[in-house]
Amino acid sequence: MSIGRDDVRHVAKLAELAVPEEELERLVSQLNRIVDYVAQLDRLPAERMVDAFLPGPASVALREDVPGPVPLARPPAELAPEFAEGFFLVPRHGAMEDA
Amino acid sequence: MTAAAEQGGRGAATARDVGRALRSAESLNAVLHWSQELLDAEGARVDAMAAPGSLAGMPIAVKDNIVTVEQPTTCASRILEGYVSPYTATAVNRLRDAGAIVAAKTNLDEFAMGSSTEHSAWGRVKHPLDPDRVPGGSSGGSAALVAAGVVPAALGSETGGSVRQPASFCGVVGVKPSYGRVSRYGLVAFGSSLDAISVFGRTVDHASRVLAAMSGPDPLDATTVDRPPMRVPEPLPDLRGLRIGLPQEYFPDDLHPGVAAAMERVKDRIRELGAELREVSLPHSAYAVPTYYIVAPAEAAANLARYDGVRYGPRKVGPEGDFRAVYRATRGEGFGPEVRRRILVGTYVLSAGYYDAYYTKAQQARALIADDFRRGFDSGLDFLLTPTTPTPAFRAGEKTEDPVAMYLADIFVCAVNLSGLPALSLPVGRSEGLPVGAQLIAPFFGEERLLAAAATLERVIAADAEVR
Repeated sequence: MSIGRDDVRHVAKLAELAVPEEELERLVSQLNRIVDYVAQLDRLPAERMVDAFLPGPASVALREDVPGPVPLARPPAELAPEFAEGFFLVPRHGAMEDA
Repeated sequence: MTAAAEQGGRGAATARDVGRALRSAESLNAVLHWSQELLDAEGARVDAMAAPGSLAGMPIAVKDNIVTVEQPTTCASRILEGYVSPYTATAVNRLRDAGAIVAAKTNLDEFAMGSSTEHSAWGRVKHPLDPDRVPGGSSGGSAALVAAGVVPAALGSETGGSVRQPASFCGVVGVKPSYGRVSRYGLVAFGSSLDAISVFGRTVDHASRVLAAMSGPDPLDATTVDRPPMRVPEPLPDLRGLRIGLPQEYFPDDLHPGVAAAMERVKDRIRELGAELREVSLPHSAYAVPTYYIVAPAEAAANLARYDGVRYGPRKVGPEGDFRAVYRATRGEGFGPEVRRRILVGTYVLSAGYYDAYYTKAQQARALIADDFRRGFDSGLDFLLTPTTPTPAFRAGEKTEDPVAMYLADIFVCAVNLSGLPALSLPVGRSEGLPVGAQLIAPFFGEERLLAAAATLERVIAADAEVR
């Protein structure tokens, strides 16, 4: 599979990542190098394929993740660029959303 | 470092010693945040403890992707420049409860993505023995500080070998525990099914004491396993009765001659100590690097979605001026080239039409890699022995143009992360003046035996001696 400039633009859009046009060619080359390299997994015979892997010994079951209060040393207002009345503030929803 | 600092003596004196040592090691660029004021406060805190614990007065540096409330946590990324966490990692709290002095945050590859620290937004760390070479990565700052004698132990993190590889390059001990042994609460997430807070020590005993102090279940991390904390093992009188496997895939014909010679010497010492060495095969380890470079970027793409300029970190606003322009500009300008590359690869392999071809296949390959280890240990092997890295430390700039060449620096270490097993790197000699590490891999939760065997081996191997 070969990755082209339009593929990089598409993936960058999915990842919400601005990629300058002048970097595209270099990224196309590097991403193809990586994807070509990982494609060697195709050599694994299909009949040897098994279920997906979970880390840890087979006998270990994960506990339920029960969220509880965790004391914070400073409030969210001190972390966020803009915060008011319990909300993180962002610029208004614009035309890009429909693009 | 003075004897007081080495042994863990009075906190205040140790804090002053470490401050002097950090100033003298500034040229390494190994530290991103430290202050004498915090060191002194930590020293005073330890001095005031009624029962300082197993790490009394031991100064421990912490990789800057492990959060603390007193200092910034940047992950060596512009996107977190100035960020200070509202909570402290469980591992750091436990070290402090045991009497450790924690007041220096170390340099790393941005978000722990790299094998040389050359992807740090604040410049690479210099190798303590040769400034033109890299210390390894991603936890290169922690490795360099221990190797330079500034601290006897430091925390790093592993996703694909990021402690064992720099430990090998710098000539120190590096231990990656079983997945679930140490809480990940407060470790900035990269690949959540792989990440493990791990330890550097000047000796096996330093690393063992630190690992023991921070191990054990944590209600704040549901993936920690309900087992008692690890105990610090004593060295064994010898290695009689142990069976150690030599996986042929980890001893290729083109292995660096200095590494090969060091491994031959290790095998000789192991035989002399009475253990049996047996050649084995782990056929799917050949697929570890390609598997890792699908699984890890996929998890990273999801984990790093949270850096969007909304909740924390600096914000950039793109030309369109709306909130999605904030996302794109903040992320595009805040992340460095390697992190951007991995987010793009991860998003690509998870995207519609490619998921099964890449991600599903990588998950299946991961199971085969882990099964090779399981069958090896089920057959009666106690440990596996391999080189930690295919070469000693490489020169800065040597691999930055080709991402795959950089990835291959981790070829002997990342199968362990994919399998979740514990493993360590032990310094076993030098080749042309550069350290060489040997890797021992153990079954799940076999850390105590692993560290006991390594301590036994450590006593009979001249780690600073040139091998030929």
